[in-house]
Amino acid sequence: MKLLYSFLKDIQLSTKSFYFYIEIGFALIFVAILVFVVPENFEKKVTVYAYIDLPEAVAGPAEKALLGEGYDLQRFASREEVEAELASDRSSVGLVVSLDGSKIVYDYILQGYEDEKFKRIIQTTIEGNFAKAMPEFSETTVVRTIESDAEKLSDRLNILPVFLGLNSAFMGLFIIAAYIFLDKEEGTIKAFAVTPAKVWHYLASKMGVMLITGLASALVATVFIAGGKAHYFHLIVLIVSLNAFGSALGLFIASFFDSMTKAMGWLYVSIIVLAFAAISYYMPSFSPLIIRILPSYPMLFAFRETLYEVVDLEYVYANVLGFGAAAVVFFLLSNYRFKKTLTV
Amino acid sequence: MITVNGLYHSYSNDKKYAVKDVSFEIERGEVFGFLGPSGAGKSTTQGVLTGLLQLQKGEVSVAGYNVKKPSRTMFNKIGVSFEQSNVYGKLTALENLEFYKKLFDVPTRDANELLEMVGLENVATQRASEFSKGMKHRLTFIRSMINNPEMWFLDEPTTGLDPAIASVIKDIVKQEKAKGTTVFLTTHNMFVADELCDRVGFIIDGEIKLIDSPRNLKLQYGEKLVEVDYRKNGGTVKEKLSFIDEDDRKHLKDIVSEGTIEMMHTKEATLEEIFIKVTGRGLE
Repeated sequence: MKLLYSFLKDIQLSTKSFYFYIEIGFALIFVAILVFVVPENFEKKVTVYAYIDLPEAVAGPAEKALLGEGYDLQRFASREEVEAELASDRSSVGLVVSLDGSKIVYDYILQGYEDEKFKRIIQTTIEGNFAKAMPEFSETTVVRTIESDAEKLSDRLNILPVFLGLNSAFMGLFIIAAYIFLDKEEGTIKAFAVTPAKVWHYLASKMGVMLITGLASALVATVFIAGGKAHYFHLIVLIVSLNAFGSALGLFIASFFDSMTKAMGWLYVSIIVLAFAAISYYMPSFSPLIIRILPSYPMLFAFRETLYEVVDLEYVYANVLGFGAAAVVFFLLSNYRFKKTLTV
Repeated sequence: MITVNGLYHSYSNDKKYAVKDVSFEIERGEVFGFLGPSGAGKSTTQGVLTGLLQLQKGEVSVAGYNVKKPSRTMFNKIGVSFEQSNVYGKLTALENLEFYKKLFDVPTRDANELLEMVGLENVATQRASEFSKGMKHRLTFIRSMINNPEMWFLDEPTTGLDPAIASVIKDIVKQEKAKGTTVFLTTHNMFVADELCDRVGFIIDGEIKLIDSPRNLKLQYGEKLVEVDYRKNGGTVKEKLSFIDEDDRKHLKDIVSEGTIEMMHTKEATLEEIFIKVTGRGLE
């Protein structure tokens, strides 16, 4: 019961402070940006201004094929017109295709900032599609996909796990220390320490506040961005486990310091290091061991799972159990340390 | 109620002791004053007794509990009023007390009744952050009484209070003493100590220099003189007369029998004077 009363008091205190509302407000701002600013999927089209001096029997199918591959191909009547358009649109690419006897000559007009990789992609896809348009062309390339039914989230939805991870799950890491040092500063921690309530009651009630705030911000963001697509039960279980882990880790780090100023550096470094996992999340081809061992790495993919139509329950609950166990360990260590240092 | 034997405490865990070889006992129902200047070791001693500081060396028993391995149930029996007010600023006075009540396993006092005792009943639903320093101090004081403590630790209970409120606080302490509550009073105010304490201990540089009742100390260290202002030949005469000198005693008897006395004071020493005499230092 003491834990409950302590938790209710902490909830009361947090709702009377700005922090709670800032957190919910931040979630709403995040939602607003994602819904009104970020498109459902990022535009990947390359605009190509082209003068194609070929028979229409070749130029027509090539144009159709390029449009089908996502190119925004616009044809002009002369090279000069192409160059004029390129000058007014610096994100576009110019193309002049002509015949030299029986050979097709491709003349690319670039802006100058394009890298070699981009140049090669443009060259390969454009020339490939013109080749396909030739009457004598026959396809010899076979492409096989290992996971032909792999589900992909929209670009907008794909951002949500990063918010859930770094804001809702790891919220306690930084904030719980602030709560404790605020109590130390006010001296209320000493008043609590001379009651029959135990140190773990105090620590757990703070974690409870972090959990409520974390869940509230996560649900606000997920409901508005993912709507009915998210698997809310699994998501909530995952947030409970990860938020507990973040808070317990925050408690453990805070237990080594006696003021927020001293603890802040370490807590800030922890958050920044954990945020590195987002790089590999967006660029799966870059996932060195140093990033894969960060707790935030599996966490981001676990959150992503809860947004898929078919959830990999084994992966999600392996995370729940793993982070839950780690939370218990850090909580016990923090309790042991705070028994000695909480009132000093 | 309290037994302290050979208590040492160092904040830096070395030989730089904030308190050293402190030993004393407090009987049930006694008001014990711990007198000393700032930094003398009063708060450190109280910190160890209340479990806020770890017992490093020595033996300490409070309300029957060994402080080396204190049980949380010990706190059902003790109350602690801190020198620095430490209430939740965002909660009202009443919410502060109601929350605190719920942390105890023993019958607790009515919060409104406590607020009334120190004149805070009209601001019961006001946030503590809006309180003056004195009001917060009163709230901290009554919070320490909420569990009807058998052992009551009071750290500078009247500091920063106006004389009327300070008098109310002292009356409450007297009432609680009359009920049998044991009080450990930490103060540098010798008037408060003189008025409330059965015994006082003088602590300086972490060491107890002397423990006795204020009466015994005054008898031992005070001068046996009486200062008399009386009318004579149309004017006022002021004289200091000894209780010991035969002529002075006879002269005093004559003045009393003539009925011309305007003012008369015994010249016993104050606790502060005794403290200075014993320790060579002031209490501030």
